[in-house]
Formats: sequence, C-alpha cells, structure tokens
Amino acid sequence: MMHDLNLMVAGPQGSGINFTSDTFAKVMTREGYHVFTNAELFSTIKGDHSYFRVRVCKDMIRSYSERIDILIPLDAKSVILHTKELSKEGVIISEENLSDQRHASIPYREILQAVATKFGKSLAELNVMKNTVALAGASKMIGLDKEKLKKVISENFESKPNIAEMNNAVVDEVYAEFTPTHTFDLEATVYKKRMFINATHAVGMGKVEAGLRFQSYYPITPASDESNYLETVMGKYDFIVEQTEDEIAAINMAIAAANTGLRSATSTSGPGFSLMVEALSYAGMTETPVVIFYYQRAGPATGMPTRHEQGDLRYAISAGHGEFPRVVIAPGDHKEAFYDTIDAFNIAEKYQLPVIVLLDKAMAMSNYTVDPFDLSKVTINRGKLILNETSDYLRYRLTDDGVSPRSVPGVKGALITIAGDEHEEDGHIFTEDADNRVRMMDKRMHKMKFVHEEVPSDTKVKFYGIPTNKKVIVSWGSVKGPILDAMEIVKDVSMLQIRMMEPFPVEEVMKFLKGKRIITVEQNYSGQLADLLREKTGLETTSRIVKFNGRPIAFEEMVEVLSRKKLKEREVLTYA
Amino acid sequence: MLNTVNPPAKPQNYKTSVEIDWCPGCGDFGILNALVLALQELKIPNENVVLTGGIGCSSKIPHYVNVNTMHTLHGRSLAQAQAVKIANPRLEVISASGDGDGLGIGAAHIVAAGRRNVDLTYMLFDNGVYGLTKGQASPTLPYGEMPKSLETENLKFPVNPLFLGLASGFTFVARSYSYNIKHLKETLIRAIKHRGLAMVDIMQPCVTYNNINTKEFYDPRLYDIEKEGWNPAVASENDYKQKVSQAVLKALEWGDRIPMGVFMDYQTETYDQKLQKLVPDYGKKNYVMEPIETSGKPLNDVTELMDSFC
Repeated sequence: MMHDLNLMVAGPQGSGINFTSDTFAKVMTREGYHVFTNAELFSTIKGDHSYFRVRVCKDMIRSYSERIDILIPLDAKSVILHTKELSKEGVIISEENLSDQRHASIPYREILQAVATKFGKSLAELNVMKNTVALAGASKMIGLDKEKLKKVISENFESKPNIAEMNNAVVDEVYAEFTPTHTFDLEATVYKKRMFINATHAVGMGKVEAGLRFQSYYPITPASDESNYLETVMGKYDFIVEQTEDEIAAINMAIAAANTGLRSATSTSGPGFSLMVEALSYAGMTETPVVIFYYQRAGPATGMPTRHEQGDLRYAISAGHGEFPRVVIAPGDHKEAFYDTIDAFNIAEKYQLPVIVLLDKAMAMSNYTVDPFDLSKVTINRGKLILNETSDYLRYRLTDDGVSPRSVPGVKGALITIAGDEHEEDGHIFTEDADNRVRMMDKRMHKMKFVHEEVPSDTKVKFYGIPTNKKVIVSWGSVKGPILDAMEIVKDVSMLQIRMMEPFPVEEVMKFLKGKRIITVEQNYSGQLADLLREKTGLETTSRIVKFNGRPIAFEEMVEVLSRKKLKEREVLTYA
Repeated sequence: MLNTVNPPAKPQNYKTSVEIDWCPGCGDFGILNALVLALQELKIPNENVVLTGGIGCSSKIPHYVNVNTMHTLHGRSLAQAQAVKIANPRLEVISASGDGDGLGIGAAHIVAAGRRNVDLTYMLFDNGVYGLTKGQASPTLPYGEMPKSLETENLKFPVNPLFLGLASGFTFVARSYSYNIKHLKETLIRAIKHRGLAMVDIMQPCVTYNNINTKEFYDPRLYDIEKEGWNPAVASENDYKQKVSQAVLKALEWGDRIPMGVFMDYQTETYDQKLQKLVPDYGKKNYVMEPIETSGKPLNDVTELMDSFC
C-alpha cells in the first residue's frame, strides 16, 4: 500500500504539461484525496524545460516530495533530468523506447492510429494527444475509473466538444489496449468535497466575498493570474477589473476608486510594487483604504520571474518615503489567503490606511485541495464611511482614535478635500504650521495603536505543535506547508507562524518564544524575519534555515534539516 | 457629460475661501475664474463634481474650487480622475494638470486615457516651465528658447499637446487662453458637455519665469480657428479619419499665428459604454451607494465560485 503518490509531468513549456497534471490532479481531488502540486516554469511562452509535480495522499499534505513515482517526460531532456528522482518502484511513461526497466511501454502509435482512423484524421493530427495516452496510462496503473477521467477531460474542453471526444476515445483505447505490469496501490480514502485551487483563486474569491468593486493591475508574473481570474467573474458579481498602462497608474487608480467610495485593490509582484511605492506613501498620507496584493517572486530587478522567493519582507514593511501607518499581513496557505483578503479590506476601511497582503509565487502557482470556505465566518466592516447627507464635514477631522468620518463624492454636505501635502482637518494644504504637523502626524500614526490592540491574536500569529517543545521554528508565508508536514515526522519542534508583519505583534511573539530555542525558516538569502524578530523583540535566532534558489522547500529536505542533531548558525537548502 | 439636477440648482458659490498662493498676475487666475464661471453656468451640484490636480502651481487649483477635490501625486491627476469616473459615472470629473505634470512625468497616462475615452475633462495649464521648482524647461518649451529662469537654452523639441491628444484618441481637443476668459469658459463648457474624453490646452503665461511666452507674445498671435471656418464636428467614423489628419495640420501651426478653438469634437463610444459589454449592470447600479453588506454580513456569495473548483 502506498501512503502518497507523486506524479511528474515534464517537458518543454507549452507542450501541455499543465493540462496533463491538472487533469490528473482534478480526478484525484474528486476521488477524495488531498492533492498538492508544484509548478516549475521557465519564463518563456514555449520551448524551455518546465515541470509540474502532483502529490496525492489520503491525509493532509502541504508540500511536494522529492520522490517521483510516475514520471511522464514529454521530451528526451526530461528523461535525462528527472529519471534520477524516480523511485525504484516507479514508472516512466514515455513513447520512446527507454532502456530503463521502469519504462511502461504503452503502444502509443497503435492507440493514436486507431483513434485517428475512427475520426477520419491523420496520425500527425493526433500527436497533441500523446499527453492523454500517458495520462490514461497512469490512471489505469492507479486503478482509476476511466469514466471519471473522461468527465474531467470533457469539462476541460467544454468549448471544443469534438476535441474532448477524441481525447476520450484515446482514454478508451488506452484502457482497452494497455495492460500494465506494474500497478500503484494507493491507500483508500473517504470522499470529501474539496476545491482544487491556488492562492490567486483564494484571493480572488475573497475579494468577491468582501465586496470588491474595483481592481487595477498591470500584467506581471505571478500576480496577474488573480486579476485574470477576476475578469472571468466580474460580469456576474458586478465589479470592474482595469488593466492599466503601468503599475503607477494601477495603484493611483485603486487609490482614487477607494476615495470615491469603492472597495478597491491592486495586485502586483516586486518590480510592480517598486513602481507603486510613491503612491503607497500617498495612500498613507491621505488615509486611503487601499489594499495591495503583493505576490513575491525571486529578485532583485527582474530576477527569476517565474520562481519563488520571500525576499521582500523588509521592503514591504518599510517601502515609501516618510512615516505613515500601514498594515502588512502574510497568509501562509490558501485558506488563510481567502480570510485574510477579507480582513485586509476591513482593516483598510476601519483604520483608513493602506494594507499590504504579502503572498508569494509558491502560493500563486501551487494548486492544492482546500475545504470549501466557511462563509458564515465572514463579516464586513466599512468603518466610518458616510453615504448620507451630513454637515460641518471635515475629511481629516481630529478624533480620539485618529480615524475621521469618511465621506465620498456625491454625498450632500460633505465635500471631500484630499491632499498628499500635509494638510489641516479640512484637507487644505496652505499651512506648514509646526503644531498642525505634530497633530496630523500623531493622528495618523496613532491609528497603529488601535490596530495593535484590536486585531485578533489569530490574525497576528499562529502556534502549531506541542507548547512545551524547547525548539520553536519561526516562519511565515508558504513555508508553513513544508514545516507542518515535516512536524508530522519531527516531533520535538513546534512552529510559530508570524502572520502580521506590521505592526509587529511583539507581545504575542514574546508569549510563545520567551525562553525557547529559535530556528527560523524562510526563503530568502539573509533571513529577513530573523532580523525583524531581533529588531522588534531582541530575541536571537540560533539557526537561520534559508533557501533562495528559486524553488520551494521540498518535504524531504525539510524533514532532513529539522532532524539534524546540530544546526549551524545558517543552513542553506538547495534542493531543486 | 452633464449631471444637472431637476429643478436646477441655485447659482452657487464654486470658490473656496482658501487664500490663493499663485504669483500676482499669474495666468492661472484666469483659468480658475473661467472654470468657476463654467460650473456656475452649468449648475452642477457641488457634491457631484470631482476636480483632481497633480503637482505644481496649476495643480493647486483643486483647493480653490468648492467641489470634491483630490490633490494627487506629480503626474497622476489624469490617472486618478479616470478611476473616479469609472468608480462613479454619475460624477462630473475634471482633471487639472500642468504641462510638466501631464506631458513630462505623467505622459504615459495621456496615451492610455485616449485609448479608454473616459467621459471627463482634462485641463492642461500650459506655460512652458516648471514654475514651482523655479522655472526649469517643461515639455512644451520650444527648442532653442531660453527664458530668463534657464541656465542654458532648451535642447529638446517641444511636445504639441493637441497633436498628442489627437494621436492618443482624445475625442474632444481644444486650445484656449487664460487671458480670454470668455473663450475659455465657453470652451470648458463645451468640453464638459462633450460625452467622452476632452482635452483643453490652455495657454497660460508664467509671469515669474517665462519672459518669452507672455501675454504680449500671445495676444497678437492667437486666432480662433472656428471663426475662420473650421468645423470640429465629426459626422462618422470615416469623417473622423479625415478630420483627424486635418486637425493635426492645424494643431501644428505655431509662429506668427497660433490657432485656438475646438479642433476635434467626435462623439463615439465612451469607456462606461464599453465597460457595459463586460459588466452588464455597470452604470445601471450605483456601486458607491449600493451596499455590499447587511448587518456586517456580505451580500456577495461565492458558493458558486467555490463549486466551480470542486
């Protein structure tokens, strides 16, 4: 019996590798398995080597495995590159006649010829369906009902029914003609309804649930998948997604839409965020409730656009000239991404400040199974928004909590004056009075105190494992997945996930970390969270485990490093 | 577009009591007066107007007009103005910008705005210098000129705002003059009434730093193209192609005679109409006033979206 099964589809970008892996993943999701995928793409449209991993298990899984059980290489390069990861009992499904004894020989040519004849096509026209041959071969080895596979294929080609029909004919032919010598006996599971999504879907659904009305973006990997997803549902849920001329326009438009009264957001990655920074400072000064979804990728500069990194933590919490209040939240998985998205809008409107939701490429491009969100838990808080006629209105009125009543254009008796220059309560700027400056700085910065006091502890930190463990891993973002998976094996460590980065939850962190041996795990070069932890709490990290080669942390390397008796001050993970 | 109320609003005070900090004699005063007169004549309720500005002398105008105002960042007046109009098409949106603000640091937004054709009015305060930073050359300063504030002569060719506006797809393109308040007021009214993206390039002498493009320079040179028989109206898409090329030729005139008036007035699909193709209820619903929650519970329900991933 196998506990978990790992399938890899590898080949040139654009050869249908994601279709193949996604179809397989969807079938397994519907069987009731937990599914975790990892996509490693080259930053190109066609040609370069890419690969997708699909891991399947009856138990919860949150990371990919270094081990491959079924390898589907779509070119010779993939055979050379990935055969070394194939387990002894594994199988390679390939049309080529490989000398490897793990090669499952499926009569590709005969199968495709039979289908070609049936549909009156030439063999060459069916070449694109080789992936389906491999997919059906793998399905048969696992013992899946072919009708379930065919159903997913039909859904994938919903708009092209005859393509679906041909692919499904290929499935039938494989199931009829291919008798595997090797089968995979995966531990059975009990069906439970789950979504198969990545973080861009989770954030997108969170935005819709939160009442988003305006989203702006400029195309950038890995953030634009989210905006493109939103474009598919905006007609139904009544909101606008605006593709702008650059990220400067994107954030300025989001700010203006927010100041016009709409729940408003923009999504980007590091290079785009850099262009947004001036306006971020403006949002702080003008007390604009705008939310920025920041999907980190490997930098600096253009870096590795399709690869993973958590290199922008210190940047996100400090970017922007001058001092202004902001909130930075870093979800660690797709479920958190959904709820945090809604919280981000609530915090932005309640405290009238910019909120950054810090995500990463691993989350954006990793599809996995997630229980449907519990919508009864969702609340919406628009803060001191005024939509009815009023009088004696001042946009920046001084109040006890620093938050002024917020009117928008169109409200009688409450004209707004918004300015990025230092301003008085009425928003006008023709004072550079020293006392006014102090009052207004106090007003804005004071809001952070209330964020600190009022945001629930769960939004700030989460603790996992046995509280009495001496060793505590401190981490953030998507690294949470491999750490939690490794903790199923390595029992003497606990984990503190820091979720709110700004304002930094000092008390909550101290509560869990005082007197502990601290190990940080993060995907950047220097250990930015370890530095931040020391700055904010004075706590020293005994070991910084880092990985910065652009690839997420694998399950096995996480287990291996956490199992070590002794850890160096800095441990660099390198699995690729 | 025009958003008047019925019965018409009383004549209102469209000026704030904020002390104006432009230099005495600045061309901006004429623009402020013309804008206030235009708003008064159009009787648009103050709360339904949004005026955005960028950064610079001219971009301070939002503080002097008694409507909703957004004093944005350098170069971003037009970007923010478009978003205001997209967010709430019921508002009358006017964007103010200097030539440095709009054609230098913010030039990308002009091109993109032309592609959208959002229904708003863009006022370009055009004086050839960066006044607020002590008179450096701006994108409209002619090649080889050296106003007294410059250390060296200007080595760059000027941008022609009308040409750029026409090339980018602005559907209403006009030029006026800050010392001809009557013409400017009328032009602004036509621009505001125009359904689509309007640009008004306003010759606005900077009395402190630009001693070349002065009142004395413009007064004898400016002539009204419409009085000389130019008809800016476009009847059809085919007519537009012809009109654009003729308008460009007119716009390029500069020298002893400088053209002003409306160069282009083309009624075509606006961005709100285009957005309805993707979001059928856009514009029919008032996104700002329509609630997104009831007693703190969301009105949107993503159950169907979740199911699509199962």
